[in-house]
Amino acid sequence: MEIELSIHHDGRNWVATDGDISIAAVTLDKLDRMVENELKSRGRLKSGIQTRVRMSFDIYTIPQWIRQYSQHYFNRVVVFEG
Amino acid sequence: MTTQDRKWYSGMLLQEDWWAVWLGVGFFLLGLLSIAGVDVLGWITYPRKWVFSLPAGATAKKIVTWQHAFYPLGGKYSLTAKGFYKSLGPIGGILLTYVVFTITTSIGAYFMRWDLKKYIAGWSIIFFLTYLTWFVGHHAFFSASVIDLRKSHFPPMFTMSLGGGASFILALIVGLSIGNFFKPLAKFLSTAAKPEWFIKTAIVFLGVKVGYLPIKAAATSQKLGHAVAGLTFDLFVAGAAATIVAYMVFWPGVYLIARKLFKLPRATAAVLGSGISICGVSAAVATGGAVRAKPVVSIMVSSLVVVWAVIELLVLPSFFTHVWPGTADPLVAGSAMGMSVKTDGADAAAGELLDEFMRTKVETETNGQVVWPAGVITTSAVMTKVWIDMFIGLWAFILAMVWVYKIDKRQGERVPFSEVWHRFPKFVIGYFLAWFIYLGIFFGPGHAGAADGMALLKSAKVGAVHVEKGMRKLFFMLTFMSLGIITDFTKLKQAQFGKMVWVYFVSLFFFIIPVAMLVAYLFHHGMVIPTLATAG
Repeated sequence: MEIELSIHHDGRNWVATDGDISIAAVTLDKLDRMVENELKSRGRLKSGIQTRVRMSFDIYTIPQWIRQYSQHYFNRVVVFEG
Repeated sequence: MTTQDRKWYSGMLLQEDWWAVWLGVGFFLLGLLSIAGVDVLGWITYPRKWVFSLPAGATAKKIVTWQHAFYPLGGKYSLTAKGFYKSLGPIGGILLTYVVFTITTSIGAYFMRWDLKKYIAGWSIIFFLTYLTWFVGHHAFFSASVIDLRKSHFPPMFTMSLGGGASFILALIVGLSIGNFFKPLAKFLSTAAKPEWFIKTAIVFLGVKVGYLPIKAAATSQKLGHAVAGLTFDLFVAGAAATIVAYMVFWPGVYLIARKLFKLPRATAAVLGSGISICGVSAAVATGGAVRAKPVVSIMVSSLVVVWAVIELLVLPSFFTHVWPGTADPLVAGSAMGMSVKTDGADAAAGELLDEFMRTKVETETNGQVVWPAGVITTSAVMTKVWIDMFIGLWAFILAMVWVYKIDKRQGERVPFSEVWHRFPKFVIGYFLAWFIYLGIFFGPGHAGAADGMALLKSAKVGAVHVEKGMRKLFFMLTFMSLGIITDFTKLKQAQFGKMVWVYFVSLFFFIIPVAMLVAYLFHHGMVIPTLATAG
């Protein structure tokens, strides 16, 4: 099972969102744990099933003048055990 | 509005990198139509060296009067529509060039979701300012060499002998003046001032140039055509050395300087190491993402890279031409440039400037006995850079694995391999495609320059010249102008950069440039550019 989230940094926090949920944390570690808890509380993590959460960085949060040089920051996958 | 790279084809209509491919390959394919006798690109308008009035006894050969300072290339090179393109005249040609590139680049701007009104307004100012500086820079005082003067039967007089390089320098000066003294204007132009987009497009056009070089040389002799084809392959192979140096020597060296000498944090040192030693902004952004640094780290390093790259662009072409290695080893200079100057824009621009300086110098030194084809030295600078660029995705992937699995050890995190593709510089595809197709034409239906292939090669030449000469030079000019516009030297003074400025300075001048010169010498020393003047 795979869940898609968008991720960006707002200058203080890493923010993961899919329009439905929006979670912010200072570090990626904290963000991952908060995402895990949020998904659990919404019943989106099934017991005994591995869930891959794909976080794709929103490049439009990088200043436009830099995007001409590089148009990809990172995509990360975090695996949660249900 | 959000944009993420989720699929392998994500960004094909959204990214400048891809739009450099669409523009570059689009015009390259239109140029190929000349093989079928259809010349649709002859409107591209190009400058000549000029004076206000010819001195007594002079003839308008290499130097013309100002009214003829521009001409649509089709008026000279077209085999099927010479009369039509000649009839456009300089003004008609420039206007048509403006209309075509305004439409095509605006389509790109639209898909990339830029503010179209701002883009067109900024583009129009940059375009006409570029043509104006192209005009001024081609005044004989700046551009003409002794040979040019002699061929046009001018009396001996002092000129700066900068060739086409004068226009590039002037465009950079005009751009820098706007960027540093007219900041509101620079801000207004920033939507359209896109040096990386322009240079990536120009590099695709350069691919046409590399493939066309043997065709051009074959017009002098078949043997020369073979020699030039061989040289481009030699440059390609030797350029690979740059990859090893950039990733295995420069990066660890700069990382250590940043960590041990300047005590910078690990992630900052990694981002700085990539920015200074690999390929500038794109490497800084790729590494920032790989080590999961806050984007502000990459943004700060990128600001520094852009400024330092312009400083290198101002210093190195003259240094390599007049101090070392000079005209004795032009390809050593080109390759060293490719390893030293970060950002594709500044490197290709510096290579082009070096090309102009070196060719003018050697022609003057040898009294016209040695004439190097334009673009070979630029190719040596770009080839090393392209090699370095191609591996940034793989490098960032390795760094990401080291950071995620060994340093940060975040529970459950995986690094997807698709990251390598997302970070691959797509314009490289256009560059190689254009190169290999023209090379295929040369060795295939062109019969490697044999008599029975020459008719086809002559028709292929028409479309190639419009792209590799007219469009490539125009996009180089646009690059110089926009590079200046977006470069703000006051950034170096900003307090938050502090140590990073010094890491850059020490690494660049005491480590990267000397090692680049040494490695370039080891791998390119002795490579000779065939001369067009003495070949028989």
